[in-house]
Amino acid sequence: MQEKNILEMKGITIQFPGVKALDGVDFSLRAGEIHSLLGENGAGKSTLIKCLTGVNRMDAGKIILDGKEIAPTDPGNAIELGISAVFQEINLCPNLTVAENIFVGRQPMKHGQIDWKEINRRASELMSRFHLDIDVTRPLSYYSTAIQQMTSIARAVDIQAKILILDEPTSSLDENEVQLLFSVMRELKASGMGIIFITHFLDQIYAVSDRMTILRNGHLVGTYNIDELTKVELVTKMVGKDMDVIFSLKRSEVAPDAEFMLKAEHIGDASKIHDISVNVKKGELIGFAGLLGSGRTETAEMLFGATKTVKGDIYVDGEKILIKQPFDAIKADIAFCPEDRKRDGIIGDLSIRENIMLAVQSRKGFMKPMTKQEQTELANKYIKMLGIATPDCEKKAGELSGGNQQKVILARWMAASPKVFILDEPTRGIDIGAKAEIQRLMLEMCGQGVSVIFISSELDEIIRCSNRVVIMRDRAKVTEVDGASCTQKDILKIIAEGAA
Amino acid sequence: MKKQTLWTRITNPKYIMVYATIGIFLAIYAFGAFLYGDKGFLTVRTFVNLFIDNAYFGISAVGMTMVLITGGIDLSVGAVASLTGMFIAYGTTVLGLHPLTCIAAALVMGVGLGLLMGWVIHYLNVPAFITTLTGMFLARGVCSLISRESIDIKHPFIDALAGWKIYLMKYVDGNWVKIKPIAFINFNVILFLVMIIIGAFILQRTRFGRNIYAIGGNEQSAALMGLPVGRTKVLVYGFNGLCSVLAGISYALYVKSGWNLSLQGGELEVITCAVIGGTLLTGGVGYMAGTLFGVLLKSVIPALITFNGNLLSWWGKIATGLLLLLFICIQRFVVTTSDRKKGQ
Repeated sequence: MQEKNILEMKGITIQFPGVKALDGVDFSLRAGEIHSLLGENGAGKSTLIKCLTGVNRMDAGKIILDGKEIAPTDPGNAIELGISAVFQEINLCPNLTVAENIFVGRQPMKHGQIDWKEINRRASELMSRFHLDIDVTRPLSYYSTAIQQMTSIARAVDIQAKILILDEPTSSLDENEVQLLFSVMRELKASGMGIIFITHFLDQIYAVSDRMTILRNGHLVGTYNIDELTKVELVTKMVGKDMDVIFSLKRSEVAPDAEFMLKAEHIGDASKIHDISVNVKKGELIGFAGLLGSGRTETAEMLFGATKTVKGDIYVDGEKILIKQPFDAIKADIAFCPEDRKRDGIIGDLSIRENIMLAVQSRKGFMKPMTKQEQTELANKYIKMLGIATPDCEKKAGELSGGNQQKVILARWMAASPKVFILDEPTRGIDIGAKAEIQRLMLEMCGQGVSVIFISSELDEIIRCSNRVVIMRDRAKVTEVDGASCTQKDILKIIAEGAA
Repeated sequence: MKKQTLWTRITNPKYIMVYATIGIFLAIYAFGAFLYGDKGFLTVRTFVNLFIDNAYFGISAVGMTMVLITGGIDLSVGAVASLTGMFIAYGTTVLGLHPLTCIAAALVMGVGLGLLMGWVIHYLNVPAFITTLTGMFLARGVCSLISRESIDIKHPFIDALAGWKIYLMKYVDGNWVKIKPIAFINFNVILFLVMIIIGAFILQRTRFGRNIYAIGGNEQSAALMGLPVGRTKVLVYGFNGLCSVLAGISYALYVKSGWNLSLQGGELEVITCAVIGGTLLTGGVGYMAGTLFGVLLKSVIPALITFNGNLLSWWGKIATGLLLLLFICIQRFVVTTSDRKKGQ
């Protein structure tokens, strides 16, 4: 490895409305190294990459490429400067052929016309370098996601950039394809290219990178050589230290002979989750721990019918039910508070009252509308009970703060008196006081006999509230531990190393 | 390396829509030949007349195809073509200008409006539907401002251009003779075919053309691949403006007059030609060959009705509507099956 820095980013700051996505982050990349960029979702990895590729403008900071200060204005400009990127979502055109996707924008020309023969010949060569023997003249949409991903990598490689950015390139590849990609990465590295590699698979980071830089909440945690940190240390640094806030929360007490309220046996969906079994007793709170992408959300969405369950059985209160769509789950008294509250949860243009009455109304059926008075009574009851900060129930839900929006969603489902309540990251992005209140509300519901599934990236919360903790890793359940006796360190170790 | 044979090239799934158009055109043509073959449906004249009577739609469809491939739409083409006719009619008949001067003015107007609309669509991020609707009202308004009555075009240059024709000949006993019944092609037909060839060249052989497809496939991806999205979109609407003006000239030659209410709804006919030619309204897919056959397919239906002689011409509209529905269903089917393939 050479010691020369090919890229230096200094004090990068990017401000989005309301949040600092990046705050004074430094990053450097050497020629001929594979440098992993790590952090949880929202830590600022993608923002940093988008800044480097000219998608986002930085508000402060400097980018120095090969000793010269640059300011990429758009992706085209970044490519000209020698920065080429492969993004997690496949950024290609499905209607163009594989060959054309590799060469569009820089097609070889002959007599003032595009030289299709040359394009197809060179594309075939490139793809066979990835051991893919395919007809490159077929449209990209004709092929699997893995081949599409390989195509976008082939494009980036063929541009012969100085810097290659691979943002989650392996998420759709199988083990062999990943190994293939790694060997190509090592080849490129040997040729002096600097590679920035982003992945949430920890094993892959250790398999291929030389150094790593960790970000958390838009701040730089540090840059380390790969042998400097163990996996456990790495995860600890990514997730962050405990907040020094002590909540006076007590775990729910579950009667030893309590019945199982929800039983899911060997369920799996069409693509991501293959086999998972979970059960929750009456009044019990189960925590789901694991990194993002470990399958927590996918499992929750299956239980609620938001994604289709293709195998396995689900029992609610001892009765086997078929959940094909959220409506079936609602009928079976399952409630779901989704991860992305702005997109999937709250209806911003409706008032608090209308948001709260939705689930109750949906269960009653829309043929029997509630009177406005009933609605207002219901809304006011929950506004008072949950302490939603609002002058009255007619305020638009979109105008509330994140924590209060979350409470409105909780109120919506609590009003429908569910038997099972699934909460996916209910405390993300809200301040510490509101977090504590949400946790208190969950535990109160448990006390009233509701079974709760609580998904969170913050382990301290999980440990504080859960009776049992289900640990997920790489889209499968690794193990279950007892909430009262486990420590954060135990869980981190299992998340990092995959064994109990 | 996978060997490409002629067979794999022909069976490439990207051509499905074009094959569907050609297939249905041939089927309808065969149907017409079966019913009215004895009345002269099979003659060269009938076939050539399909071009003569619809050249102006075809010329406009060349530009429209490109706009639709980017995933956009342009509702102003009928009004712009009509305005071109008004420019020529008013300019020559009332102001006494040479038609070429009028055409030059119309080109500046049409291309300028196209570029402006493209700029508004991309840089101000206004939906194409709304922007070009505005353009349509604007152009139509100016038409009526110029004159609210039909103006005849009487100018030797226009007469010469409109009257110019090449008779189709055949070689009989060492002599070239006109075929019977007499069939000819005129300036409009040649302009239409030349525009189709230019359009096909742009789409298939230039980077600009390929960028059009890339934008239609996924605009965000195109931008991330470093393609000049904004420039391409603005130029596509500019080119479509050019096509509208040429279509307007062609129409003026066809009817030899300018009328402020001519070609009302023409934009929809043009879009229909492109769509039944296999151009996807969602963008990313379309071929000039398809558009050529789309124009023929749309024009063969009124021809059939004329040959029947008993049916009201409104049946043509109904048939066109059914055809459009059929093609949209085929498109849905093709798109969903290719999505399903992806899962494998």
